[in-house]
Amino acid sequence: MATPVLDKSDAAGSPEPGFADSPYITVTMRIRRFNPEISADAVWEDFQLEIDPKERVLDALHKIKWDLDGTLTFRRSCAHGICGSDAMRINGKNRLACKTLIKDINPEKPITVEAIKGLTVLKDLVVDMEPFFQAYRDVMPFLITKDTNEPTRERLQSAEDRERFDDTTKCILCAACTSSCPVFWNDGQYFGPAAIVNAHRFIFDSRDEAGEQRLEILNDRDGVWRCRTTFNCTDACPRGIEVTKAIAEVKRALITRRY
Amino acid sequence: MSTTETNAAGIGPVEGASLYSVDNPAPVIEPPRKRTKKTPKSTRGNFELAAWLFMRLSGVVLVVLVIGHLLIQLVLDGGVSKIGFAFVAGRWASPFWQVWDLLMLWLAMLHGANGLRTVINDYAERPNIRLWLKGLLYTATVFTILLGTLVIFTFDPNIR
Amino acid sequence: MKIHKYDTVIVGAGGAGMRAAIESTKRSRTAVLTKLYPTRSHTGAAQGGMAAALANVEEDNWEWHTFDTVKGGDYLVDQDAAEILAKEAIDSVLDLEKMGLPFNRTPNGTIDQRRFGGHSRNHGEAPVRRSCYAADRTGHMILQTLYQNCVKEGVEFFNEFYVLDQLITEVDGVRKSAGVVAYELATGEIHVFQAKAVIYASGGTGKFFKVTSNAHTLTGDGQAAVYRRGLPLEDMEFFQFHPTGIWRMGILLTEGARGEGGILRNKDGERFMEKYAPVMKDLASRDVVSRSIYTEIREGRGCGPEGDHVYLDLTHLPPEQLDAKLPDITEFARTYLGIEPYTDPIPIQPTAHYAMGGIPTNVQGEVLADNTTVVPGLYAAGEVACVSVHGANRLGTNSLLDINVFGKRAGIAAADYSQTAEFVELPENPESLVVEQIERLRSSTGTERVAEIRRELQDTMDANVMVFRTEQTIKTAVEKIAELRARYRNVAIQDKGKRFNTDLLEAVELGNLLDLAEVMAVSALARKESRGGHYREDYPHRDDINFMRHTMAYREVGADGSETVRLDYKPVVQTRYQPMERKY
Repeated sequence: MATPVLDKSDAAGSPEPGFADSPYITVTMRIRRFNPEISADAVWEDFQLEIDPKERVLDALHKIKWDLDGTLTFRRSCAHGICGSDAMRINGKNRLACKTLIKDINPEKPITVEAIKGLTVLKDLVVDMEPFFQAYRDVMPFLITKDTNEPTRERLQSAEDRERFDDTTKCILCAACTSSCPVFWNDGQYFGPAAIVNAHRFIFDSRDEAGEQRLEILNDRDGVWRCRTTFNCTDACPRGIEVTKAIAEVKRALITRRY
Repeated sequence: MSTTETNAAGIGPVEGASLYSVDNPAPVIEPPRKRTKKTPKSTRGNFELAAWLFMRLSGVVLVVLVIGHLLIQLVLDGGVSKIGFAFVAGRWASPFWQVWDLLMLWLAMLHGANGLRTVINDYAERPNIRLWLKGLLYTATVFTILLGTLVIFTFDPNIR
Repeated sequence: MKIHKYDTVIVGAGGAGMRAAIESTKRSRTAVLTKLYPTRSHTGAAQGGMAAALANVEEDNWEWHTFDTVKGGDYLVDQDAAEILAKEAIDSVLDLEKMGLPFNRTPNGTIDQRRFGGHSRNHGEAPVRRSCYAADRTGHMILQTLYQNCVKEGVEFFNEFYVLDQLITEVDGVRKSAGVVAYELATGEIHVFQAKAVIYASGGTGKFFKVTSNAHTLTGDGQAAVYRRGLPLEDMEFFQFHPTGIWRMGILLTEGARGEGGILRNKDGERFMEKYAPVMKDLASRDVVSRSIYTEIREGRGCGPEGDHVYLDLTHLPPEQLDAKLPDITEFARTYLGIEPYTDPIPIQPTAHYAMGGIPTNVQGEVLADNTTVVPGLYAAGEVACVSVHGANRLGTNSLLDINVFGKRAGIAAADYSQTAEFVELPENPESLVVEQIERLRSSTGTERVAEIRRELQDTMDANVMVFRTEQTIKTAVEKIAELRARYRNVAIQDKGKRFNTDLLEAVELGNLLDLAEVMAVSALARKESRGGHYREDYPHRDDINFMRHTMAYREVGADGSETVRLDYKPVVQTRYQPMERKY
């Protein structure tokens, strides 16, 4: 694999030569490339660029795409950790490229970026998200109530009942947790942390009346019992959700039938 | 700039370069197993819950049984040197020790087998290998449990 | 090429698109085409809340809300539409709650409400608690709840399908919508969707600015597709600049921060909004606050070595309150600025936020071909549309309201229409325009680069048509845009493939941005007054005699193929409220 080394003048946003107190540093981005229209093999490719260490990994990827190699392909949208498009494996850990600053991941060494694991790689950093969303849909992620006629005003809920499931409402479905799970890497039929988190959000919502059904779904062979409590998911979550704890709460609810 | 681009431009014969093109793409990189609309099939059983609970409970019980067993066998009353046919025969004369060892055999074997089952589920990639590994595991487990149980119940101190 | 047939096709799966889809799927065979996975839509970035006069915590009624909306829009609001917005706000909040949205609660279990910019009791007396919220992630909760209900209703999504063209067929002298042409990102394949009704809900166009709270994907694709087919765009000169974007990055910090008690301060620590808006202070409407910030900066009272920002001060608020009510924005400050909001003020500057203008529609969401004529089968809702409920300046929390009220209305109206209407015949070679566009880009050997043209466009827009505008700056922008449009014809891309060719799509998106930037600048040049989000330093006052009217911009193609923007005007609907001077 050829390693392109670029002139400074070539790089994006590079400062004027001789600029003494420039905030820019040189980093190497080592990216796992795969393009089935060219080769069946994935390869590592290095890019060197000048970047302000306070910028995001996403900014670095944009510099590459916009100024060096337009074929680099990744998903992104909001660029501040809300839309969940740009989950990727950065230096071996799942993160959002838009929430990871260059200075926080040791720019001295090459920064490795690759697609999240356990899902089909379609091109470069783009994976097939369909199995992930299938698992999400399979836990019935919507409010189910049994009352025959809807109340005219809002359903009442105490602040404490609302607080009970607050943590799991933060999920943005970025798949960072699910694709950090060693069980999921090998067996994508496992529901995975994200689906369980979204089931948790409804099981513990005092307004919902289908908790029992969701618990039964997660009681199955590929449900919560496959969790090995490695805490990878909690580490990976860009929203700070205590994912492993949520899974444990679902397990406990299955045993005690109280939720 | 990069090999990939060189390939695209068709400069230089790179191994495998001519195999794939825009209209004849390579297969994508798939994970070992994935969820689709039809999988996994729901079984609606409680087996996994039972297995999970069993692992925790049997683990606790095994801690008592195994540590007790090790103490008696290896530490108390002169330690390991005392063990012989007579010692075992003496112990198995009592129904208490019979039950102790039987329990230890069953729990340890089931606990271990279930643990290995999850390891196979988690790490064996190909369906064929999974099938064989699990077959081997179950056979070995059943054989050991049956043989051990038979020995405990049919043990004859006067053999020789 | 593949041809699909659906009763109703919805373009875009943000708040408005999914709200429409929930209604439309119940009534007709519906497909939702979206260039992003639905949960990636920018509705999710909205933070503060959704206004509705529920009167859960203090006295309030929808008439006051209507007044605030009209006043906030600097009287350019169509008042019949604003009345519908405020009246139906209450049910649309309750609808969302019943769909499962986890609103914050009052001690007696009802939906909690908080203050927000421009919302007042009794026609401007004092701030009122009208914004229903879920911490500072209300938009996230709305987007998730709507997606959850789409899953429940079994809405059919075509994810990562990029709509590039609107098909229009003339039947007996009436121009009707026949369907849309979409590009499938995963395969590069062209799909034609024949549909009785098409709803555009494709969002805003903020990416022609550099400092913006908008996502990279907000490139005005819906507006551009419709505009290129000769339909008008309304009030495009009105763009909202949100006062509190993170300095240099533009990431939004909700107005709810000021609703919870946050204060804007200049370099002397002075609470400068007291000078500009004595009653509402930091909670004056967004255009007023943004201008005040820039006035402070221009007069040398900005913070930092370059004096180019001011501070949002939250340090006097208890940390528990920040954790409970503003967890996301405090985290943004920590992540992107390395600042602890408990103890340090946050550097902010105004950020391009929301397009008040867009595809003109009536209150049923039907798209207009001129001032009065409806295009049968064509609908729009959300930021892409201009009803116009936002007039010259949108009130905070009214956009989440807009998508729910008019998304629902458009969904019902479109599905009802497709129940009775017949399919309109597709034009000959319906895909030809898109195929030509794609092939031209893919095979181009030009020398211009997408990123460079986009950078120059964003620079000129930020410098010349942002918060302060003059004839001179707008003319500079118009000339620059014309130059960039010429250079764009010579643009080339590096990725020639078919799969996930985002290089190609960025080029297409840049084309859309250039078209819309031109419309915006030309519309702004012609409006020789200051109103709401459009502030002309050379005409600093509102001119109701000449400009109490909506701008309608049409694309004109000359005989020689040259393109120009033709401007026309449309009267404003006034019912109850006569224009008054706008003070906060």
